[in-house]
Amino acid sequence: MAARRALKAVLVDLNGTLHIEDAAVPGAQEALKRLRGSSVVVRFVTNTTKESKQDLLERLKKLEFDISEDEIFTSLTAARSLVEQKQVRPMLLVDDRALPDFKGIHTNDPNAVVIGLAPEHFHYQILNQAFRLLLDGAPLIAIHKARYYKRKDGLALGPGPFVTALEYATDTKATVVGKPEKTFFLEALRGTGCEPEEAVMIGDDCRDDVGGAQNVGMLGILVKTGKYRAADEEKINPSPYLTCESFPHAVDHILQHLL
Amino acid sequence: MATWSERLAGVRGVLLDISGVLYDSGAGGGVPIPGSVEAVARLKQSQLKVRFCTNESQRSRGKLVGLLQRLGFDISEGEVTAPAPAACQILKERGLRPHLLIHDEIRSEFDKIDTSNPNCVVIADACDAFSYKNMNKAFQVLMELENPVLISLGKGRYYKETSGLMLDVGAYMKALEYACGVEAEVVGKPSPEFFQSALQVMGVEAHQAIMIGDDIVGDVGGAQRCGMRALQVRTGKFRPSDEHHPEVKADGYVDNLAEAVDLLLQHLDK
Repeated sequence: MAARRALKAVLVDLNGTLHIEDAAVPGAQEALKRLRGSSVVVRFVTNTTKESKQDLLERLKKLEFDISEDEIFTSLTAARSLVEQKQVRPMLLVDDRALPDFKGIHTNDPNAVVIGLAPEHFHYQILNQAFRLLLDGAPLIAIHKARYYKRKDGLALGPGPFVTALEYATDTKATVVGKPEKTFFLEALRGTGCEPEEAVMIGDDCRDDVGGAQNVGMLGILVKTGKYRAADEEKINPSPYLTCESFPHAVDHILQHLL
Repeated sequence: MATWSERLAGVRGVLLDISGVLYDSGAGGGVPIPGSVEAVARLKQSQLKVRFCTNESQRSRGKLVGLLQRLGFDISEGEVTAPAPAACQILKERGLRPHLLIHDEIRSEFDKIDTSNPNCVVIADACDAFSYKNMNKAFQVLMELENPVLISLGKGRYYKETSGLMLDVGAYMKALEYACGVEAEVVGKPSPEFFQSALQVMGVEAHQAIMIGDDIVGDVGGAQRCGMRALQVRTGKFRPSDEHHPEVKADGYVDNLAEAVDLLLQHLDK
């Protein structure tokens, strides 16, 4: 493992960490201000594939978070670049609200499948269409593979289980572009001029946020908000650098111990 | 490769897969695979013991048999080994009360099972009932349990309908396994207990039995692991790449059930 260096960048997850759907985590806005008062670069990295960057930004503004569009790095952006790079025409199994992020991409006569969190598309006949495309050799691009996420009415299935279903049925592997993929974290850091050893990730998903970040050499802080469930920190090895109550506590730790 | 007479020597019992071997399901019930109605009749007239071994979990045995009879097959419910009755037995033995993620057409198989306050999930080929909402409900039941038990009726990847290939229960089983971090207990092919129970009813030893199916892994691989021989038919879900499967090699590949029966009857021990 590379030696740790002075902290220069903080990556922060959005849903479950800064806010839970339409409610801010108590104290998160002030904590973000405190963090910005220090010398670190802050980036917001999210697997929230339901919404375009513009939607995310509007919600964050409504919750009075001081964030600009170019600080947000989403798995949709990452998926779009891969589609362009492969020059394919995707069947887009993504939430309708995410479609603006794919504006200009040809989707007629599809020869690829892009799958995100799209409960309204995850019914049998649609998945079967995707399955048949994959059997014909179309590549499967998964925006992320999260197992589940937290809704106001409880835990709900993420896209991961449906990606796994298609992988198993067709004996293929999806190319995953979101967290916890290494390239996702490296792409998010690109432009900050920081190395993974100079960065910390804060999130509520032990495997995807903390495990993924730690796999590229960052520190990972797990917060007990959002989808966190008791003993989640035992799901990864090595365990999280730190587990704390919520985002404000994580910021306090960074300001007191990592700068 | 050995000659057919060597490969088929000593066979006394035949296990037949149903979907993709006898018929292809689809709109209006389905259509028989050409030659299969006669092939079943010829087998049953021979000295070979015959049993049907299916992972059908979209409709009850009664409904399946009724459909096959309408298509012209000589088949009765008592001749069919299917996963739903096997699952019911397991549920009773272990005091499990299932949340059922199943198609309405198979619900009657679970009529006598207590489904109140569920402490496990049973998943079958639910087809259109595999909605996000229904999957999510099953997921939530499993996540509430201290010891989540997921029972899957088969774990097939896909099957053939007249309109094309269709996702099977295995894909959805994997989805729930992944979501909950559990491993499903599979009732049906390729589980050895399931093949054994079919052999037991027939009164035939594994080495005297041959399985005929369209699924290279579930039918052929599963049967071979139990010590049976197995043929793959080039009907149903068969794909040419199956003949070069990295792990499973059938004892023979035949165009359809009719050819399999021709060979069996031709090389029957006199």
